[in-house]
Amino acid sequence: MAVAKGAPARGALLSIKIPRGRGSSLALYIAKRILWLVPVLLFVITITFFMAHLAPGSPWDKAGGRQLSAPVVANLNLKYGLDAPLWVQYVKYLGNVAHLDFGLSYQYQNQTVSSILLESWPITATNGALAFLLIVPVGIGLGVIAALRQNTWVDFAVGGFSTFGASVPNLIIGILLIIVFSVGAYRVTGGNVFLPTGGFGLDDHLIMPVITLAVLPIAFIARLTRSSTLDVLRQDYIRTAWAKGLRERLVVMKHVLKNSLIPVVTALGPTFAFLVTGSVIVESVFAIPGIGRTFVTAVQSRDYPLILATTILFALVVALANLVVDLLYVVIDPRVRLS
Amino acid sequence: MEQSTGKLKWSRLATLMAGVALVVAACGTASTTNNNGNNMASSDKQILRINSGTEPNSLDPGQQSYDYEGLIGRNVFEPLLKPKKDLSDVEGAAASSYDVSSDGITYTFHIRQNAKWSDGVPLKAKDFVYGYQRILDPRLAAGYTDPFFDGTIAGAANYASIDAKNDAASTTFLQGLGLSAPDDHTFVVKLQQPAGYFKWVASLWVAAPIRKDIVEKYGSDKWATVPSQVIGNGMFKISEQVPKDHITLVPNDQYWGDKPHLTKIIDYFIDDANQAFSKYQTGELDIQTVPLANADLVQNDPKLKNELHKLPSLNTFWLTPNLHKAPFDNVKFREAVSHAIDRQSLATDVSKGQYAPVTTFIPKGMNGYQPGLSDVQKYDPAAAKAALQASGVSPAVANGVHYLARNTTANKQLAEYITGQIKTNLGLNWTIDVIDSKTVTSRIRKANFDIYGPDGWGADYPDPQDWYDIFTTGGCHGTNWGCPNNPDFDKLVQQADQSTKDSDRVTKYNDAGKLLTNQFYVTFLYQRTEWQLIKPYVQGYQATPLDEGIYLPGDFFTNTIFIANH
Amino acid sequence: MAAPAVALEQIDWENPEQIGLWKDAWQRFRRNPVAVVGLVVIGLLVLIALIAPLLVAIGMVKDPLHQDVAHSYLGFSLQHPLGTDYLGRDLLGRVMYGARISLSLGILVQFVYLLIGGVIGLTAGYFGGKIDNLLMRFVDIWYAFPDLLFILVVVSILGSSLTTLFLALGIVGWVDLARLIRGQTLSIKEKEFVEGARAAGSSPLKIILKHLLPNTLGPIIVSLTFGIPRVIFLEAVLSYLGVGIRPPTPSWGVMLQDGYQAIFAYPHQVFVPAVAIAITMLSFSFIGDGLRDALDPRMRR
Repeated sequence: MAVAKGAPARGALLSIKIPRGRGSSLALYIAKRILWLVPVLLFVITITFFMAHLAPGSPWDKAGGRQLSAPVVANLNLKYGLDAPLWVQYVKYLGNVAHLDFGLSYQYQNQTVSSILLESWPITATNGALAFLLIVPVGIGLGVIAALRQNTWVDFAVGGFSTFGASVPNLIIGILLIIVFSVGAYRVTGGNVFLPTGGFGLDDHLIMPVITLAVLPIAFIARLTRSSTLDVLRQDYIRTAWAKGLRERLVVMKHVLKNSLIPVVTALGPTFAFLVTGSVIVESVFAIPGIGRTFVTAVQSRDYPLILATTILFALVVALANLVVDLLYVVIDPRVRLS
Repeated sequence: MEQSTGKLKWSRLATLMAGVALVVAACGTASTTNNNGNNMASSDKQILRINSGTEPNSLDPGQQSYDYEGLIGRNVFEPLLKPKKDLSDVEGAAASSYDVSSDGITYTFHIRQNAKWSDGVPLKAKDFVYGYQRILDPRLAAGYTDPFFDGTIAGAANYASIDAKNDAASTTFLQGLGLSAPDDHTFVVKLQQPAGYFKWVASLWVAAPIRKDIVEKYGSDKWATVPSQVIGNGMFKISEQVPKDHITLVPNDQYWGDKPHLTKIIDYFIDDANQAFSKYQTGELDIQTVPLANADLVQNDPKLKNELHKLPSLNTFWLTPNLHKAPFDNVKFREAVSHAIDRQSLATDVSKGQYAPVTTFIPKGMNGYQPGLSDVQKYDPAAAKAALQASGVSPAVANGVHYLARNTTANKQLAEYITGQIKTNLGLNWTIDVIDSKTVTSRIRKANFDIYGPDGWGADYPDPQDWYDIFTTGGCHGTNWGCPNNPDFDKLVQQADQSTKDSDRVTKYNDAGKLLTNQFYVTFLYQRTEWQLIKPYVQGYQATPLDEGIYLPGDFFTNTIFIANH
Repeated sequence: MAAPAVALEQIDWENPEQIGLWKDAWQRFRRNPVAVVGLVVIGLLVLIALIAPLLVAIGMVKDPLHQDVAHSYLGFSLQHPLGTDYLGRDLLGRVMYGARISLSLGILVQFVYLLIGGVIGLTAGYFGGKIDNLLMRFVDIWYAFPDLLFILVVVSILGSSLTTLFLALGIVGWVDLARLIRGQTLSIKEKEFVEGARAAGSSPLKIILKHLLPNTLGPIIVSLTFGIPRVIFLEAVLSYLGVGIRPPTPSWGVMLQDGYQAIFAYPHQVFVPAVAIAITMLSFSFIGDGLRDALDPRMRR
């Protein structure tokens, strides 16, 4: 499931091979990693292409009533090049993709897939960006506070929230939010105040989707920040400085933050990937016409070019996010900084 | 997740609603006030906000085929004719009148002298020739081609044999069609054989005129992708389209007839029923259909119940058994199943009143309705058990039935109800296959199923021809999936279709209806009523059962709709 | 880092002293109240799942398949503690039967993960070199592939059923486990006792099965514990998108989808399965966290 893939969970950070040399070897490393994207994408395209075409049903099948007549279907196949053998279509598609031509959508006549993606991307991006703006301060803030107040009720509350956020899936959180803030609020206020159950708009439409999208990353970042802050606070010299007085505490705080944030920064890559892939669920629950929903409808309507383009986009985002994380590891190696 | 079976405009299953005109006639409730002008709100308030749920796939009327496209196509373009409010006949639209030759073959349409395109250019007969040709152009593969156009227009029957890759062959084919424009205001259509229903075909919204110069200027594929390039001859024109959000129509000041009162129609693309419902409640939408699960909520809400309009609609839903495979090749077994389903309880308890129980084919409110046949398939558990006994079908086969349904909530719920009834009344355990809609279509097209439901039909136009053609042998695996392939039935329907005498047609169609019902080729279930919430200030709409009424009641006569003071 | 005297990697099942380490872990787990709560809740759920048919048979709980359409969408009552659904079926019975589906699917799919992830991870880690490189590149590619499409297509082709879901979910979720097992294998294969076994002429397969597999058990158990709720969630998502369990069998995902379309009129319809899923996933998380802490050598004093 796409949603689980980009999740800032276990695994994403395990396969890193950090070259120990610096400078030119770093450039080489980046080049190699980017080059590596080519076979990855090729594989993704190949699997998706054949699976999509193998799925029963054609793009021209209707969801009920009178079906298109055989001659019309034949003409449509001709128009969209579906009459050629599958491998010919495949080779042709690869050639087009190499020129960044993703073809015409079947569902929306005469609209290019690129233009459809460009229409839905800003919507997903807006929700994702807002969630990101929420995740960073809230996640880090909660983590630091919990660490500073270790073993107090504040710490336990943050811990409880983190566990909740990390284990209860966004599908359920979204539904519970709708029950409380849409249905519940509607009933309590007699329909005067309540949040819309879905759709997109630069207003109260954003509240529930953004929260739903942000809960898991916030929980994850809060946990991470808490433990890394605790690690730094445990260092002897910090303890000594901390004991000296208030002024020193401020200085120390800055130092602690700087060091404890290093692992957090590297977690932001997978978080970013999650915000894109997680859109599949969130946009389905809240009926948001973004990339995630476009993907689900494309699969349902056998819009092969749109399925392929969306899949490539998702794969690219996940792969790039992993690359950025790995690079961040190289660039801000904690040992270099601390010495 | 509304009833999904009716996406295609042809079938119009989920989408039809009978109009207010019919309601007025039937029960005398005056749910529309005719425009008397004195309670009309000021022009800046004449904005109607509706929701068609889905973005149109195309703005080119000839290339459209879905109901949510129809309401745009119908208001931006105007075909030759349109239905009268009471559906008794057609009346002039872009054509002021038409003549039919005595042999029923030649139709001559007289285009209005004062009809103009939205850019001021006069409307000419050649625009209709071009529009009709585009529908039949193999290279464009328009969805509505078959059977309305390739089955009626002279020369069009060759459609299937033309190689769409061959430009010359396609052009020759188009030029050989029975379409001509002897002068600017005369459009002549020659038919292959008499077809009394062709006046209805000429009133379909896809049968619109198209401007050749515009198409050639911007390109055949591209012209209709930009709203400002879509020059139409209808009451409205498109002012903007915001992808994934809405499309806005404003009056076309070049329209020949009465100008609309509305200054704007905003048509949203909200496909989530709950979301649209809540927008109606906050006053962001003026018209909205009632999701099945909210039926009781609306009926019990002191405010909403007054805004609820239960509009009858011309559709019928049924179960389709595979007639060429055991156990449904056995007429007695089909009879048993038909008697085993309590439609009344389905209507009252499951649908909360949105369905009416049905055991015959042609829906109530249309010519050809046969209430006299309603006992043949009626709910009768004792008769069901007796028929099962008489069928001699072995328990293993009878229990091995898979019920195929498309994966929407409503369809799944119906599947569970039907199999529950079969279990209770026949003691049989059927398996439910609820699968992806495309997969279902590919399976029923290949006859790879036992029984499929709900299947159904909605009127394209109020003529029984539109209905009985479904079950002919020619419709096997295209419009019907059980494939009765009964020569007697085919003969009756063909004679009725081509007959020019109305009384003769009625008798023949009725006989065909008897055959369909008595042979239990399908098991009729229900007729859907459209439950529509309409704000009290939306007035003057004159709905007919052929509207895209689920989105915009009265969209044949949109120019009479107005917003009252509120 | 201060390595403990006996690291987790060195458990030898045939050594009674090291079995004490598992006892220790259990002691630590027991002292973690949150983890114990999780365990108790899951224990109860498993019990409910097991005895649900019995409860229906003796009439304590209503048959979840029995339709009574005249009494649909009922609220909470003595007759129907959690109300009824759109066909008048008892929601308590449905939620209990749903536990059977969700739990069995969640647990069974872990075996597929273990099988695929184990084979790939162990092979890559043990042999290293080119084989490792090849397998890990394959894992990377698989990781970049959005598997919603994969599941949708598999389910479309084979039709939705418990078996299909089981297969589709199993094939896509093993990646993390493969990486984990590879890492563990790499880190311990250089250890003396493995070297010793190799020197003594044991075959690779024997070494893998005898030493590596048991020694990587701790982290694997933790990973599998976290894997169960993920599968339960995926079932819910698929059913929510309409490609899940075959009706009329109740699963939590199916109930979620059914309830969601009535969310305005009857919010309890979706609330019941949502809470059931939330509680189950939280409980598995509690157990997983507890297990991780208990099995983590660094936690040993």
